[in-house]
Amino acid sequence: MSTLHLPPELSIYTAAELHPQWLAWAQQQAPAPAPALVDGAAVDQVDAAGVQLLIALQRGLSARGCALRLHAPSRPLSQACAALGLDGWLAQLQVPFSTEVA
Amino acid sequence: MTQSAAQDADFIAEALPTFLSEAEDQVESLEALLLELEDEPDNAELLNALFRCAHTVKGSAGMFGLEAVVGFTHHVETLLQRLREGQVALTPELSTLLLRCNDQIRILVAEAGGQPADPAAVAARDDLVGQLQAAAGVAPAAPADRARSQGGEASRAATATLRPWHVSVSFGQEVFRNGMDPLAVLNYVRGLGEMPHIVCDVGGVPPLELLDPDSCHLSFIFGLVTEASRAQIEDAFSFVREDCQLHVINPGATPAQFADLIDAMPGNPRLGEILVAAGAISQAQLQQGLRSQQAAAALGENALLGELLTEQTGLAPQVVDAALRKQRQQRTDAPAAGDDTRFIRVQANRLDAVINLLGELVIAGAGAALLARQTQQRQLREANDEISRLIEEIRNGTLQLRMVPIGETFTRFRRVVRDTAAELGKDVHMEVVGGETELDKSVVERIADPLMHLVRNALDHGLETPAQREAAGKPAQGRLTLSAHHEAGSIVIRIVDDGRGIQRQRVLERAWKRGLVEPGVVPDDAAILRLIFEPGFSTAEKVTNLSGRGVGMDVVRSNIEALRGSVLLDSVEGQGSTIEIRLPLTLAIIDGFLVAVGASRFIFPLDAVVEVIEGRASEATLDARGRGVVELRGQVLPVVSLRALYAIDGPLATRGSVVVLQCGRTRFGVLVDSLLGQHQTVIKPLGRLFTSLRGMAGSSILGNGEVALIFDVPALGQLAAEPPGQPRVAERATA
Repeated sequence: MSTLHLPPELSIYTAAELHPQWLAWAQQQAPAPAPALVDGAAVDQVDAAGVQLLIALQRGLSARGCALRLHAPSRPLSQACAALGLDGWLAQLQVPFSTEVA
Repeated sequence: MTQSAAQDADFIAEALPTFLSEAEDQVESLEALLLELEDEPDNAELLNALFRCAHTVKGSAGMFGLEAVVGFTHHVETLLQRLREGQVALTPELSTLLLRCNDQIRILVAEAGGQPADPAAVAARDDLVGQLQAAAGVAPAAPADRARSQGGEASRAATATLRPWHVSVSFGQEVFRNGMDPLAVLNYVRGLGEMPHIVCDVGGVPPLELLDPDSCHLSFIFGLVTEASRAQIEDAFSFVREDCQLHVINPGATPAQFADLIDAMPGNPRLGEILVAAGAISQAQLQQGLRSQQAAAALGENALLGELLTEQTGLAPQVVDAALRKQRQQRTDAPAAGDDTRFIRVQANRLDAVINLLGELVIAGAGAALLARQTQQRQLREANDEISRLIEEIRNGTLQLRMVPIGETFTRFRRVVRDTAAELGKDVHMEVVGGETELDKSVVERIADPLMHLVRNALDHGLETPAQREAAGKPAQGRLTLSAHHEAGSIVIRIVDDGRGIQRQRVLERAWKRGLVEPGVVPDDAAILRLIFEPGFSTAEKVTNLSGRGVGMDVVRSNIEALRGSVLLDSVEGQGSTIEIRLPLTLAIIDGFLVAVGASRFIFPLDAVVEVIEGRASEATLDARGRGVVELRGQVLPVVSLRALYAIDGPLATRGSVVVLQCGRTRFGVLVDSLLGQHQTVIKPLGRLFTSLRGMAGSSILGNGEVALIFDVPALGQLAAEPPGQPRVAERATA
């Protein structure tokens, strides 16, 4: 199963472009037990629109019965989430699953 | 805040050119306005425009973190505010100072654009700030200097009072498309003070497949500990103000206010989170509550979190109820993503064009209907009746489009009330009842200023200071209620205060002194109160700088009357005053009732017509001025004869009728020759020639091209109720 790599720029300027790509990726994800893996290490620039897109991704996956597991969120991403009151939400995405397949 | 610094850097790099060109434009406008103002120092419009310009420069500079521009412009703004309030008069020297300051703003903006700082300009800056403060009457070392808290560089000194606010903001869908970033806005808000907690409502974001990535669905609730005022907090959102729902809740909010906030909150489905987010309990209290719940569960008891919290934290049950209601509501309607509440924005002038055309259509339709009746062809008449019915429905539907709730106007007064009360050292709670009541947008726009004046008046003259109130045995906090409701085709707006009321004796003395009433003559109570609305009654002499800006109550009354409305004042000395404004729901088209007297046609608004008594006009015994009474089901009904009142010629009708009208609590009859029935009435204003004619509200063109006059029922009621022996009515009417 492929990991989704978040781009360096996660903002209103890239959101429209990312949306169809993420959607296609999300539709390939099978329901639990294995979570869908997202890698946030590369994120450098992020704004509220970018974070909103990530929220939508998580909600879209969970509607399909699939959990999102965020790996290595970058500092800018963590800080933006904290500033938006989403630190708890972000932390939840990083909780390891007991059934995780590496 | 390093991450925000990095983001700000990007933000600035991208948007700064736009800011610079806009700021330069604003500086140009400032200069033009200042120069214009030198010619017309009393022009309030110019001052307002000037203030807005300066405020825009400051606000946008704040978004870019340009502290130097914000700090300096703030001092300019303060002085402009003083000028606007009339506390400082614009002298030529002051004008020069402001122009020099404007040059300084231009330099500051240029510096923000990368131009190297000129040492001479920097030195001049402090001097100018000193002069500005001196001119505005602000002590330079004032501890609560607003500039500090606004500039974000606040050394949160112990002298200033830090207060915890609760803010709920729901960003509108257009926010991203308008180039705004909620993240940047929130970071700016953080500059005002401490943000101990912030919660984002993830529930408002649709899943990926339904998301339009350019639409914003984010809502936040956060606490803010700051010395900034409500206005300053709201100002931080000024760039998204039109496009977000913002609730700023006072530190000492009542349970009812919290309950309102919870109802207004966007999604967040857990009871505890809702309460924490609304600031009703702290996170620690919630944790303890949850622990107790778990402990109880371990013992096999099924404790409810809400009850536990009420018990442990003294949280008002009302707040828990509101939160529970919210929770239930969200659980049931979670899947529906509020598609039925969408709006289309339409330019007001397009709507006005449609309504004008509709007016023409109604007149043309009436003409066609008349012709159809004359042909006596049944089918043509039936077809025409159907068209008339449809026109009426279109009319109602179209006018409905222009209806807006009055609550928005009321809400704007909240800040006025709060700031004004604080300025006067008064404690006032403002309450709004019936804010959802709708009326025509054009009426709303034109009633806002008179209402504002009345509200300020109530604050300034009506409500007392806490000490005075306590001495009078009243609660220290004054109450001001704004209410609205529909009544018989009108909207009734009431402004009620529980202040000192109006001292009739003093009103009377003033009226005697000003020659409004013959000295020594004592009119009845209601008439004395009406004197307040007479031209020449209120003058600048007694008026403080707040309520009186040269606008007397007579101007308020004439503004309201220009909207075909009426205003009534009731007051009990020591207990408060009530001002009641009645306005028609729309200014454009009404249902009318057409009558004839001699060869003249008149229209009554149908909503005011209670009933019609045919053929009994001859029973009335009239005095020389056309006033008398008839008996109606055992009650005496005052009547007035239009023929006598307006000296209409022509043969007397053998079987005249009485039209019974209702206005507020009074009923009266009008004697007419014949009844012509219901009529869709397009209201046209009266020419200037007729403005002295009492009892008339406008004119209308009938289907056959004749002109009919529309009655202003309250004014006619006053004419009917005037005691005999006052000749001035008939004289005026026939003059």
